[in-house]
Amino acid sequence: MRHTGDFLVVSLSTVETCGATGTLNVMFQRYFTRSITMSGLSRRQAVRFLFCSLLIGAGSAVAQDKASAAPTDKPLYTVFDGYKVDSKTMDGFRAWRAAACDRCHGANQEGLVGPPLLESMKTLSKDEFVKTVRDGRLEKGMVSFSTSKAVMDNMDNLYAYLKGRSNGDIKRAKVEELKQ
Amino acid sequence: MKIVDRPWFYRSLATAWLLAVPGVVGANADLEKQIADPKNHAMQAGDMYNQRYSKLTQINAKNVGKMHVAWMFSTGVLRGHEGSPLVVNGMMYVHTPFPNKVFAIDVETQKIKWRYEPKQDAAVIPQMCCDTVYRGLAYAENKIFLQQADSTLVALDAGTGKVVWSVKNGDPKVGAVNTNAPHVFKDKVITGISGGEWGVRGFLAAYDINTGKQVWKAFSTGPDQEMLIDPDKTMTWTDGALKPVGKDSSLKTWQGDQWKNGGGTTWGWYSYDKALNLLYYGTGNPSTWNPAQRPGDNKWSMTIFARDVDTGVAKWAYQMTPFDEWDFDGVNEMILADINVKGKPTKALVHFDRNGFGYTLDRTNGALLVAEKYDPAVNWATNVDMKTGRPQVVAQYSTAKNGPDKNTKGVCPAALGSKDEQPAAFNPKNNRFYVPTNHVCMDYEPFKVDYVAGQPYVGATLSMFPAPGGKHMGNLVAWDAGSGKIVQSKPEKFSVWSGVLVTAGGIACYGTLEGYLKCVDANDINKELFKFKTPSGIIGDVFTYEHKGKQYIGVFSGIGGWAGIGMAAGLEKDTDGLGAVGGYKELRDYTELGGSLTVFALPQ
Repeated sequence: MRHTGDFLVVSLSTVETCGATGTLNVMFQRYFTRSITMSGLSRRQAVRFLFCSLLIGAGSAVAQDKASAAPTDKPLYTVFDGYKVDSKTMDGFRAWRAAACDRCHGANQEGLVGPPLLESMKTLSKDEFVKTVRDGRLEKGMVSFSTSKAVMDNMDNLYAYLKGRSNGDIKRAKVEELKQ
Repeated sequence: MKIVDRPWFYRSLATAWLLAVPGVVGANADLEKQIADPKNHAMQAGDMYNQRYSKLTQINAKNVGKMHVAWMFSTGVLRGHEGSPLVVNGMMYVHTPFPNKVFAIDVETQKIKWRYEPKQDAAVIPQMCCDTVYRGLAYAENKIFLQQADSTLVALDAGTGKVVWSVKNGDPKVGAVNTNAPHVFKDKVITGISGGEWGVRGFLAAYDINTGKQVWKAFSTGPDQEMLIDPDKTMTWTDGALKPVGKDSSLKTWQGDQWKNGGGTTWGWYSYDKALNLLYYGTGNPSTWNPAQRPGDNKWSMTIFARDVDTGVAKWAYQMTPFDEWDFDGVNEMILADINVKGKPTKALVHFDRNGFGYTLDRTNGALLVAEKYDPAVNWATNVDMKTGRPQVVAQYSTAKNGPDKNTKGVCPAALGSKDEQPAAFNPKNNRFYVPTNHVCMDYEPFKVDYVAGQPYVGATLSMFPAPGGKHMGNLVAWDAGSGKIVQSKPEKFSVWSGVLVTAGGIACYGTLEGYLKCVDANDINKELFKFKTPSGIIGDVFTYEHKGKQYIGVFSGIGGWAGIGMAAGLEKDTDGLGAVGGYKELRDYTELGGSLTVFALPQ
């Protein structure tokens, strides 16, 4: 379990003990509660996750984080095995591809003519992110995506995908959708 | 000919003729005179044949090792510096990437006589994703022609820098921008368009050098009349012979209206044969990069065109990569040379395509004579069938066969081609071509993408890495275009992304991405005779001129362009997908952004 700015990540890297294979990371924005919406997870995986969470007492520790913020029960993203993601995060990846972000930011967000998002997403606020993507940074060569439906309809999902990458939870750029 | 079927054709011919007449008399005499004088560098390639050969001999194989820096000039612009300055009658005309500044510099004093900086909307910058390169100016009859990024074509008074005329060539709001150098042939300035990754429909256009009035415009895709193709008279290589292209030769090869966003852009280097009155150029990739969305041959993307310079009507066309599945644009320079091809004296056109094949055609009629790999790493096709002219695609590397959302691995060359825009040179003394190449392969994964005007329209993710069996990513290749054979190959750590200059002094000079200007023995390119580290990586073209009895060799440095980006995509194969590959970092061990010109000469 670790804090990354406004976020908190629950990492279950020893899930063998919980009867699952691989690792599961769920990121919660600003606040953590026990009433998790397990969107994108299969019921079996969800049960495993909850069991493990309770087992290691994750919830009580994270509740101290940013207590002033409005509670939310939706995870920013869910990732299993480092590349299987919930459907919304998957849509974020699809938006990333459709908008050809990789042409400037690199196929793995490592940065090319544009900055490495693996790094810059660590400090960019959500509001700054939305503004940058919507309006562009024309002098620096960043496209305004305000007319791109693929991007505008998936702003939150794109944000989730890129946060997952910069946080190191999504371990490869190309993700796959968790099967229901 | 059935006139009723094609009244447009005669109309366009008549219109072109009427417009062409006023400028014909004496047109280009000035430019021809300037080119004939080897003291000048009056065109980007030095001549209309795109040979990049200079008759100057003061700097030669014996003394080039003593060459030193004569003077330097900072352009004040970051980003990739492609092309080269022009030198005409003691004045040097220097261009920059966006914002496309122009400096007129007195080569005697190196003082700036005038400067011009166009006002351009910053919105054009992201439309040029991913770099704001510009390949240079053109000169004719005391005018400097500037092709701005925002597609505006401008004629400046060469003496004062004042605008003579200005014309809009495309719509940057839909991604129709420009990176190419304009070319003056006869009384016309020829320019193309970029934006193949934005669904732009490519075209070539001719403007009157005196008025800026558009004389003709020929699209790469669509109805015959809009492409200035005569179905009965425009020829193409078919079943081992030249045959008319026939009616709707483009429309028949596209599904639905995809040709309207079909690419075939034209941002390369053009050439001109005065005796044949034909200009030559290539068209780029079909849009999108996802082949599943555009079944068919996608004519006339990926094509070498020969057009009448006065009317724009196509004399012949040859499509190198039908139904592109790899982004192998056909825009690279067309070099005209009179050489022996398979023992027979030939008016040849030689072209080193992105797809990795070096083509030799009969430029008088478009007959295919030679098509061989100029990098042994090329694996996407076994060979070009000389009868059909079609590449024989290897199923394993067919991104269309493997389909969308499937990663096709290990395709050689990568999308940036065995060679990109960096122009090769021809040495008439030994009939060799000096080819700056990329030795890079890729994984390519197409996916469905929707067209939105003014938004990127790519449709594939790819990663690039060095060709198997080596750590180096480039070669300088000496090529025999008569037989289609590599004579010599000199490895370079990174892609050789710099236009080569070859001289009667027996040297061939080129730049490297680390920033070295290198000169080698033209008869043995593995003999490196000179090496100097300029301030930034070189993607510009080497040029030479003479002033007051002294020969100078110059080159832009300023890393960027797809070269910089391509390198960034990874020196090491990204197998685990962890990102942050080491490649970019490694190029950064050698160089940083920053545009400058370095001019060399022999010591006193």
